[in-house]
Amino acid sequence: MHIRKFDFNFSRRAFLDKTARGILGAGVLTPLWPLIAQAADITKAYPDELLSIEGYTKGKIKTGDLLTADNVDLVKELLDPIAFKQVKEMGRQIRIVASTRDVTRMYPAEYLEATLRNKGQARFDAGGNVVTADGKPWIGGNPFPDAKTAEEAFANLALSWGRHNNSTYAVRDWEIGPDGEQSYQYDFVWVEENTSGRVGAGGPYLEGMEDKLRLQSVFFTSPADVKGTSYLNTWHYDQRRFPDLVGYLPAFKRVRKFPTNQRFEPLVAGMALYLSDAWAAGDPMLTWGNYRVVGRGPFLGAVSQNWYGDNENWERPVHGGPKNQTFFETQMELCPEVLIVEAEPVGYSRAPVSKKRVWIDVRNMMYVGYITYDRRGDIWKSFEPQYSLYEKGDLKVMDGKHTAWSWTGVHCHDIQSNRMTRFVQAKKVQGGYTSGYNREGLIDKYLNNQAIQRLGT
Amino acid sequence: MEARQIRHRLARFALGHRALVLVALALITAFFAVGLQRIDVRTIFSDLFPRAHPFVQTFREHPNFGNPLTLTVEIKRKDGKDIYQRDTLRKIWDISREIDLAPGVDHDQILSIATEKARFTVVTADGIYSTPIMDDHPPETAAELEQIRRRVSDSPAARQFLVSNDGSAALVNATFIEHLVDYGELFAFVQTLVSAQQDELHEIHVAGWPMLTGWVYHFGGDTVKIFAVTLGLMFLMLALHMRNVAGIVTPAVVSIVSAIWGFGLVGWLGQPVEPLLMVVPLLLIARCFSHCVQATERYYELLHQSGDKHQAAEYSLVSLVWPGTLGILTDAVGLLLVALAPIPALERFALFTGLWALNLIVTSVLLTPILLSLLPQPNNLDHLLARGDDGGWLPRVMNRVLLRCGHLATRRARFTALVFAALAVLAVVEMSKVQVGNPVEGSNLLRYDSRFNTAVRDINAHFPGLMTLEVVFEGKQGRIVRQSDTLNTMQSLQHCLESGPTPPTATLSFADYAPEANRVFNGGNPKWAPLDNDDAAAAAAAGALMVGTSAKAYLHVTDFEQTNGTVSLWYPNNKQATVDAALVQARRCIDEVGPEHETFRIRLGTGAIALQQSINDTVDLYQWYILGALNLVILVGCSLAYRSIAAGLILLFPVNLANVFLTAAMSLGGLGLDVNSLPILAIGIGVGIDYGIYLLTRIWEEYQACDRDLRAAINMALTTCGKAIFFTASLMTLGIAPWYFLSELKFLSDMGLMLVAVMLINMVLALLLVPLLVFLFRPRFLEKDVSALSESVEGTPSGDSQRISMASL
Repeated sequence: MHIRKFDFNFSRRAFLDKTARGILGAGVLTPLWPLIAQAADITKAYPDELLSIEGYTKGKIKTGDLLTADNVDLVKELLDPIAFKQVKEMGRQIRIVASTRDVTRMYPAEYLEATLRNKGQARFDAGGNVVTADGKPWIGGNPFPDAKTAEEAFANLALSWGRHNNSTYAVRDWEIGPDGEQSYQYDFVWVEENTSGRVGAGGPYLEGMEDKLRLQSVFFTSPADVKGTSYLNTWHYDQRRFPDLVGYLPAFKRVRKFPTNQRFEPLVAGMALYLSDAWAAGDPMLTWGNYRVVGRGPFLGAVSQNWYGDNENWERPVHGGPKNQTFFETQMELCPEVLIVEAEPVGYSRAPVSKKRVWIDVRNMMYVGYITYDRRGDIWKSFEPQYSLYEKGDLKVMDGKHTAWSWTGVHCHDIQSNRMTRFVQAKKVQGGYTSGYNREGLIDKYLNNQAIQRLGT
Repeated sequence: MEARQIRHRLARFALGHRALVLVALALITAFFAVGLQRIDVRTIFSDLFPRAHPFVQTFREHPNFGNPLTLTVEIKRKDGKDIYQRDTLRKIWDISREIDLAPGVDHDQILSIATEKARFTVVTADGIYSTPIMDDHPPETAAELEQIRRRVSDSPAARQFLVSNDGSAALVNATFIEHLVDYGELFAFVQTLVSAQQDELHEIHVAGWPMLTGWVYHFGGDTVKIFAVTLGLMFLMLALHMRNVAGIVTPAVVSIVSAIWGFGLVGWLGQPVEPLLMVVPLLLIARCFSHCVQATERYYELLHQSGDKHQAAEYSLVSLVWPGTLGILTDAVGLLLVALAPIPALERFALFTGLWALNLIVTSVLLTPILLSLLPQPNNLDHLLARGDDGGWLPRVMNRVLLRCGHLATRRARFTALVFAALAVLAVVEMSKVQVGNPVEGSNLLRYDSRFNTAVRDINAHFPGLMTLEVVFEGKQGRIVRQSDTLNTMQSLQHCLESGPTPPTATLSFADYAPEANRVFNGGNPKWAPLDNDDAAAAAAAGALMVGTSAKAYLHVTDFEQTNGTVSLWYPNNKQATVDAALVQARRCIDEVGPEHETFRIRLGTGAIALQQSINDTVDLYQWYILGALNLVILVGCSLAYRSIAAGLILLFPVNLANVFLTAAMSLGGLGLDVNSLPILAIGIGVGIDYGIYLLTRIWEEYQACDRDLRAAINMALTTCGKAIFFTASLMTLGIAPWYFLSELKFLSDMGLMLVAVMLINMVLALLLVPLLVFLFRPRFLEKDVSALSESVEGTPSGDSQRISMASL
C-alpha cells in the first residue's frame, strides 16, 4: 500500500527545492537508483501524483483517456510547447497509458546490466570526455545513471544513441507540408555501430577503433530518384572533434565530402530533420556548451506501448492536421521525473539555432522531448521520440537473448514553417532491409566508404 | 404617411426628448469607444492585390517564386576599393548573422557570401568538396581575403547575384514569413542594424517590399501631425467665421462622436486598416464637419427668423433630414462602391469608410440640432447672415464672385458653354495620356530622394535588379525539375528572352544550376556540364544539388516539393514602360516554347513586376466599373428624388467632367493612375454630387419663388446655397492643402494635391456648370411642384409658413 501522506503540491515543492539547492539526484521520496538497483521498481521513489495521471490531475484525466484540445490545458506544463500546440490547435490526440514502474521495460537488457555494473566508474577527463577511472574510453551503459549535472545527463545521451552495440533501423519517412499534404516520402536505412562503450560479450571496444565512438550510415532505398544516396559519419571518441561526413551519389559514382561542421542541413530534400537533431545529441557533445539544468519535474513522454507490431510493417495510424495525416497515433505516460537541460551550439559560428532544451527521463536517462530555438529565442523545432519495448501480446522482437527496446517513431515539427517530418522504425523498407539489433558484420556491409558506394549499385 | 409628416414627427420627437436621444447616442458612442481599443492598423501584403487576377492567382499558388517578402541589403564601399577588405567582409558577415535575428525571418532563406548556402565546389582526388565561400569566421589575413575573392570568382551564382560586377558592393538577401513578420518591428531592427554598420567607408542600402512597408509605417507617424494641422486649420477658420460657442462646439462634438463611431465600428468588426489609407478618415471627419457647418448655418437662419432656439433647431432638423440624408447616402454609396475592385485592402477600406459615412446620418443630421438647441444662443446672427454688400469684405468678395458665376452661366451662357466644351476636349486628350501604373524607379509612395528609392536605384545599378518577372513552370505530374523536358524548355525560354529586343538584365532557373552540378559531380571538367537529354540525367543533377541541402535553398527556382519551377527574369527598373516591354517579350517567348507540355504548363507569371501589373490592370478596368456603377446609382437615386431623369443627368454631367479634369490634372502633374487613385475618384464624386444636389434644388425652388425667372433664380441660388458651397469647399481645401508639405510620404502629398484639385474642380463645376446646364436646357421638372422636395415648414407658431430650402444649405 502506498500511503498518501503527501499533499498535491508536495512534489512540485520538492522539485523546486531540489533545483534551487542544486540537488540533482533522481527520486522525490527516496533516491531512485538504489531502488532500481535492488528491484527495478520505482514506486517508492515518488508520490501518487507523479505515478499516475489520475493522481496528477485529481482524476480529471484517467489512464486510457485521450488528450484532446478540450482537456490538454490540464496538463499543459507536462508537454513541450510544440506538443501542446499540436493538441490544442492542430487536432492531435494522445492516448494516456499507465506510468512504467518496472524500468527493465525501458532499456535493452544488456545496456541496463552494463549501466548497473559500471555505475560509479565514469568521470570527465581534462578535455571533457567521459573516461573510466583509469582514463580509458567508456566501457558501456549509461556512464552517469544518476546524473548530477547537465553534462553528465548529456553524456548518457551522447555515448550510445540506440543503446545496442549496433542497430539497423529500417525507416519509413513522410514529409507533411503546412497544407497537410504529403510532400515527400522516403524509405531509408539508418545503421549505427558503437566502436566504444559496447555492452555484452566481446568487450567494450572494437579492436583498432578505440579512438572512435561510432560509425553510422544512412542510405536511401526509395523513391527511385534518391535510391542509393548514402552518408557515412565517422565519430571520433573525442567529443571536441567533428565527425567525418561523406556522401555518395550513385548517379555520379562519386563520394562527396561535406564540411564537417555542416550539421544544420537536412540529409535530403524536404526533411525538417538535421544531422544535429539525431537523438537530441546529433553533434559531438563538446561542440555544444553552456550546458545547464533549468528545471525538473514530471512530464508526458511516449516511452511505452508505442510499438505497433500487430500492424503490417509496424506502421502507425495517423490523424490531425489539415488533411488528417500530420500526426502518428501515440501513447504517452506520466514520467515522474525529467531533467530539463539546455545547451548552446558554441562550436558552430553559423548555427541557426541559439539553444536546445531537452527533457530527459531520469529512469533511463533517455530524452523524451527536445526543442530548438532560433537565434531570436523563438521556438523553432521539436523532436519528439516514441519508444517501446518491442512486445505486444504474443508478438515480440528480440535483440539477442532479450526482448528488444528501441525507438518506434519520431515527430520532428518545424513550427515556424509548419513542416512535419514523421517517421517510424518499420519492420522492412524498400530493398528488403529490415530492422534489427546486435547483428554481425555491419561494418563491411554498411559502414565504410566501399560499402556505401556498393549500396548504390 | 407622407414623407413630410415623418420628418416633422422625427424632429418633434428628437427635440422633444433630447435627454433620451442624447443618452441613447452616448451609450452607442460608449459602445463604439470600447471598439477603439481593437483597431488594428497594419498591412497585409497579400491583401494588396486583386485576388482574381491571373498573376495574383499565380502568386498565391507559388508564393516563393520572386518572393516579394525579401529584404535586400547592399553593402557598398565608398572609397573606390572593392569589398575584399577585412572591414567590409566583416560587415557582410555581421549583417548576415544579425539579419537572422530579425523578426519573422525565414532562417533557411538568408543568402550572402557569408552564409553557408553560398558555396564553392572543389573536385579533389578523393571526392567532391563543397564548402561555404567564407569559412567559420570573417577573413583576417591577406591570404584569406584573396581566398574569398577567388572563391567568389569560382562561384557563378555568387559572382552574378551576390557581388557586383565591379566588386564594390555585395548583397545580403533575407526572406520573411508573412504571418510572422511585423513590419514596424522589422523596420526598427533594420534601422538599428544599418546605423551600427554604416561608416565613412561604407554605404548600407536596404530595399525590398518589407522595407517599403516599414517606411510607410515609419512615416505613418506623420498622420498624427496631419490630423492636428488639418483639424486645427479647419477649426481656426470655423472660429473666425462663426465667433460663437454653438457654432464652434457643435461641429467639434459631432465630428468627435462620428469619428468614435467610425473607428469603433472597425475595431468591433476586427478588420485591419491599411496604414496608408489612415488619412482618409480625416477626410470623413472633414465631411462631417462640413455637413455640420451647413446645418449650423441653417439653424442660424431659422433662429434669426423665430428667435426661439428650440423651434429653430427642430425646423432645421426638418429641413435637413432629407437633403442631408440624400447627400450622405451618395457619399456612402460612392465609398462602398470602391469595393467593386476585387482587392481585399480596398474592400475593407470601402466597408470602413462607407459605414462611417453612413453614420453621419445620425451623428451629423440628428445630433447637430439637438446640440445647437442646448448651447447658448449666438449674439452675432446679423453679421453671420449678412448678404450682398451688408457684411464684411469676405462676404462682399464671395457675393461678387458668385454673381459673376451667375452672369457667366446665364448672360454669357453660350460663351461659357463653348469654353467648357473646349476645356473638356483638351482634358479628354490629356486624360488619355495618363499613365496607368508606376512612373518611377522604386516606389511612387515615397519621394524620389527618399532612402528607399535611393537604395532601389543603387541596387539596380550594381546588380541585375530588385524586380523580377517570374515565368512559372507548373507541374502536372511528378517532380518536374527532375525531368529533361522541363530543364530544356527553361533553357530555351531563357535563350529566347535573352536574345530578344528588350532582354532582361539576368535570368535564372533550376536549369542553370543543373549543368554545374553535372560538371562538378562528373569530375569538374567543363565538358561534363551539358546534361544528357534524358530524365535520368536531369534527376541525377537535381539529386546532386539537393543532397545535404535544405530544399529551401532552392525555393527561388523550384518549390519545396520540386513539382513546380520558375524562370526568374530581372529588369533594370519597374517603370511601366519596362514592365510592358517585359510582358510582351515574355508572352512571345512562352508562345515560342509552347505553354502546354506533357508534364507541365507555363504560366505568366508572378514576381514584383507581375504583381505591379495586376494592380494596374485592375485599376484600369475597375475604375470604369466603379464610375459606371456610381453613375447608375446617382442617376437612379436623383431621378427618383427629383422625379426627373433630366435632373439626374444634369447632376451627373459635372461630376463626370470633374473626373475628366482631375485625370487630366494628374497627367499634367506626372502622376500615374494607380490603386491609390480609386478612393479619390469615389470621394471626388461624392463631394461633387453633394454640391450639385444642393444647388439644383435651390435653383428649382427659387425658380418657382421668382415667378419662373430663371436668371433671377440662379443668381439667388448662387448667393445663398452657392455661398455655403464656396465656404465648405474652401474650408476643406485649406485644411487638406498642407498635406503636401507635412509628410515625407509622397503618397500623402499626392493625395493632398489630388483632393485639393477634386474640391476645387467640383466647386467650380457646381457653381458654373450646374446653373449653365439648367439655363441652357431649362428642364421640364422646373415647372413641377417643388413642395415634395422643398423644405417648406408649415404651421409655425406665428401662423406663417416658412419655406426652408434644403438648397439653402
